[in-house]
Parts: sequence; C-alpha cells; structure tokens
Amino acid sequence: MTQSRAIQTTTAAALALALGTALTLGNTAVAGEGAAKEKCFGIALKGKNDCAAGPGTSCAGSSKVDYQGNAWKYVPAGTCEQTASPTSPTGQGQLAAFKAM
Amino acid sequence: MTTIAPPAAAVGIGLKAQHVREVIDLKPTLDFFEVHAENYMGAGGPALRHLTRIRERFPLSIHGVGLSIGGSAPLDRAHLDRLATLLQRFEPCWFSEHLAWSSHGGAFYNDLLPLPYNTATLARVCDHIDEVQERLGRRLLLENPSTYVEFVASTMDEGGFLAEVATRTGCGLLLDLNNAYISAVNHGRDPWDSIAALPAAAVGEFHLAGFAEDRDGAGDRLLIDTHGAPVAEAVWDLYRRTLRHLGPRPTLIERDQAIPPLAILVAEAECARSALVDAAAWLEAA
Amino acid sequence: MMMPEPIQARFANALLAPERPLPPGFVTWNGSDPSVRFDVYRNNVVVSLTAALADGFPVTRALVGEPFFAAMARCFVVEHLPESPILTDYGDALPDFIAAFPPAHGLAYLPDLARLERARVKAYHAADARALTAEDLAPHLADPQRLPATRLVFHPSSTLLVSEHAIVSLWAAHQGQGRIEDVELHRAESALVLRDGDEVQVLPLALAIARFLAALAAGTPLGEAAEIATATAPDFDLVQALALLIHHGGITAWKPSGELAA
Repeated sequence: MTQSRAIQTTTAAALALALGTALTLGNTAVAGEGAAKEKCFGIALKGKNDCAAGPGTSCAGSSKVDYQGNAWKYVPAGTCEQTASPTSPTGQGQLAAFKAM
Repeated sequence: MTTIAPPAAAVGIGLKAQHVREVIDLKPTLDFFEVHAENYMGAGGPALRHLTRIRERFPLSIHGVGLSIGGSAPLDRAHLDRLATLLQRFEPCWFSEHLAWSSHGGAFYNDLLPLPYNTATLARVCDHIDEVQERLGRRLLLENPSTYVEFVASTMDEGGFLAEVATRTGCGLLLDLNNAYISAVNHGRDPWDSIAALPAAAVGEFHLAGFAEDRDGAGDRLLIDTHGAPVAEAVWDLYRRTLRHLGPRPTLIERDQAIPPLAILVAEAECARSALVDAAAWLEAA
Repeated sequence: MMMPEPIQARFANALLAPERPLPPGFVTWNGSDPSVRFDVYRNNVVVSLTAALADGFPVTRALVGEPFFAAMARCFVVEHLPESPILTDYGDALPDFIAAFPPAHGLAYLPDLARLERARVKAYHAADARALTAEDLAPHLADPQRLPATRLVFHPSSTLLVSEHAIVSLWAAHQGQGRIEDVELHRAESALVLRDGDEVQVLPLALAIARFLAALAAGTPLGEAAEIATATAPDFDLVQALALLIHHGGITAWKPSGELAA
C-alpha cells in the first residue's frame, strides 16, 4: 500500500506537470510532428450511393472469379512493385508462382 | 430553416461531392439540388454540414435509392426511421423513391432490380407506399425504372401499374424520361404508351439522364441506364413532347458517372429550362 | 397465382452465380436469350459494389493495381454483400478478408493498410461531438491529486491503429509525402485516425504513445495508462501524448476520479 501510494503521488505530480506543459503548447508545436494528409480531402470519403448502372452485359458480373485452386490469374501489380521488397515477408516465390499462371 | 418554394418550371441537378465547394461559393443559376438520401445517413461530419449550407440557399429534393419498395420482404423500419430523421432535418420540397427492389434476405444488392407487374405485386407495392407515406407524413414520388428483362408473371404494363399505384395510394410520380425511353427500346415498345397512361396530376418531377448502348442476344439495341453521358437527343424529344402533354414540372439532370465540371451540368439544366419555357408558352397559346 | 417471393429469391440467387443457368420466368420481346440481358443486372451489382470499395480503399487499390483489386473485390462481394443500403458502411469486413485471401499473402501490410483507410471513412462520417479545449482542461490543474484516477472519453471519430508494418508511411507516400521506394515496410508503425474540424487526420504515433492511448481508450485511468506506456518505452513522452490529443480535438470528456463513464 505504501509503495503504491508513493507511485500514485509521483504520478499525480508528473501528470500535472505534463498536462500543464501540454496545455501551453501552441498548435504549431503539435502539428509539426507530421500529420499525414490526403491530397484531395473529402472526395474519397464521400457517400457512395448513386443510381448509375454499370457498363453493360460483358464484364465483371457475368463471369465467375475463383481464387480457390488454380483459377486465379491476377498478380498484385500496382505501386506495391515500387516498394523495397514487393512481396515480403512470405514471398518473391509466391509472386513468381502467381505470375506463372 | 425556411422552406423555399421553387418556381413552377424549376431546373436542378444531382449534387455531387466534387461540386459541393463550388456550389456553396458560386451559387449557380439553378432552382434546386437533388441528393441521394443514403449518402447523408452518417452520424455526423462535414457531409451533413455542407448539405445544411446548401439547403440555406437552395431547395432540396431527396431521392432514396435503398428502400426496396418493390421488394417482397417487409420494409426496413430502421431505414424508414433514418429517412424520417433526414427529411425532418432538411425539409426537402420532394422525396422520391423507385419502383424497384434492392434488398433480399438481409442483403443489399445496390441496384434497382425489376419486379413483375400483376395484382399481387400491385397490392404489395401499395401497402409499402402507404407505410412510407404514413411514417414520413408526406407524399412520395415514385419513379419508373429502367428495366432489361420482363417477367412471364406480369399481367399489367408499367404505365398502367404506376397509374394504379398513384390512384390507390395518392402518391405522386417521378417520370424519368430516360428510363421510359430505355425500357421502351429494351422491350420493343413505343415509349409514349407508358407516358400517356400516367395520370397527369400525379406527375410531380421529371428526371433526364444519359444512357449507354449495348446489344442483346438477338443483336437488337439494349440501352443501359448509366447516368454517365449527356441526355440523348431522342430523350430530349420525348421530354419536349411530354411537356406539351403534361405541362411543365421541376426537372432534374442526373449524372453519376464520368462527372463533368459543374458548368456543363448547369448548361444542360438550362437546356431543360428552355424546353420548359417553350412548353409553357405553347400551352398558353393553345 | 404465382407469388412474387420465389421469383425474387430466384432472381437474387442468380445475380451472383453467373455460372449457373438463368431460372425460368423471364421473357424478351424479340425472343432473345434473357440471360444476356440478365447480365446487365449481374454487372451492376458487382461493378457498383466494386466501385464503392475502390472509392473507400484508394491506396489499397493503388498498391495492388486495378485488375487485382477488381478481381479481389469480386470475390469479396460474393461472400459479403452489404447488410444495409448505406454504402459508406460497406467495407468493414474487407481488411480481414484480405488477410485471409491467399493471392494477397505476399503483401503482409495490406490488411492493416486497408484498416487505416476504413478508419478514415468512418472518421469522416462519425458523430459530431464538441472537443475539450485547453481552456476547458486548465481548471483540472488546480486539483492534481485527482489526475491519476481521471478517465478520458475520445472523440467518436477516433480509431487507434497499431501495426507491425509501415502503414502510415506507405499511406502518406501515396499522398505525395515521401517516396514509396523509401518506406521500410517492416518498421512497426501506429497512428491515431480522427476528424479534427472537417479534416480527417492520420497522426503517426510512437509505440509508447499508442499504448497509452489504447489503455485510455479501454477505460484505464490516466496514472495507470502512463505507467503502462512507460513500461513499454522509458522515453514515453507524456507531454507529447497529451498535447496531441488536446490540440487535435481528441478528448470529448474528462472524468476525474469517482465519475465513471456512463
């Protein structure tokens, strides 16, 4: 009990000091730590309901896509290819295998 | 919030997220904006705040795409409650939904799917509309859909079905001339047949939009309601003929894909305004 | 009389099963094969839901490329149709789906990157709540003995992400901040996603601060949360952690000891 009481008292003082300092920090001091922002704010986050129809009779919906077994024929081929190790940790081999299909 | 009544020959466009800033800043020469109800059902945030600002300057039309009025299942009460909250908050001039279904077995398919037109579906659609109008405390405008298949089980045509729904429930009709044209071409009919069947007093709004063209299994034209192109000339013709038959009504340009700059949509809406003004003059002279 | 229920059920079942023959009950004016026309509906369902997912997961899509994303989304849609007509609510299950999706196993960071994108959409549409300002909080300095047992309530838009991968740097690199080539994928990164005013922020966090915030979010009082964070890393910066929360509007209630969350 004595010990935990001691910890709590120390923490109270430390918390008061930290809170006091945090309250006096300006917004610029906080913003300086590099918040990442989206380029075109909001549009990507908008509501997605509309009443448009898709592009006709002959694309995605009319053929089955199966990822079980050997039917899958797509390889991740976007900006992931610019990363230092495109398919790590489990597999350059895996990428090659999928590409082979 | 004051309710602004639009002029009788009003034109508007569907509000898209990429145009919100411009609409708030520039206040284009439009009489109203239409939004999809389901895009404003979040708990809070900027989307609702932006719509509030637009509503301070323009009348709104709220257009639902998820109520599944033509569905065989009971209406989703939670969704109806959300609609009631939204309508209470934004006090739109009109609220519209579709003669279609989109939910089944607890899943939402995000498409306006067709139903057979017969006495059984008529009774169900009327029950659903009664429930909607009672819960929302206002008149619903029901929109005619674009369809790609027809059912052996249908015993009524679409115009007759819509007319009967309007008579039985007192609901209004939203006549989408692009949909009327698409469905007529897709089913080898004259689009005028379904328009002429509608009770004139029930029609409260027109929609205009663009379609894409494909071919069916026999090589005949199959039109797809993409909302991704300008209004086709054949649809403008049908619109002008309809205006002389029914009289001017608030008219909306819809574009949900390949969305152009705001000015292009405003110019298309101004074309509709010219047609409305011409029709009003013609009707007065007649 | 034929009732509409079986028609609608058959219609719904056929929408996501293009390999199965179309059920009976359709007719075309020119006698053409109704299944060609029915494919318009099949396309609409898959393409429109894929587009909704692509809108909500733009960096996930950029990473794998459009053809892979579309094919993966097709698989996801078949297993997870939306449960409500509000499409901003659609996609909660995608990160876990990606984690269990064998063709994406080579991209170990992808599920957490998708979680970050999902957190941003949720933050944008989350409930409004007034955040406490420095002025609101200053009076609490007068009674420091109550600080250790104080509990905080976070803004409804906030989500804490703790990842074993460099998801924050990777996401930022797709916003023009840093080069994708320079991201050290194996570096553990954490972030607080929240809406600050009208803007959704992705705030990178040191691991100790992330632990501190996680403890607070779970209802742990300030004193204990600070101890947990210090145990994680001796250089835990309590000032930085509190300043970050306060200045980004992350705190909506400050509950001194004895006032538990309702």
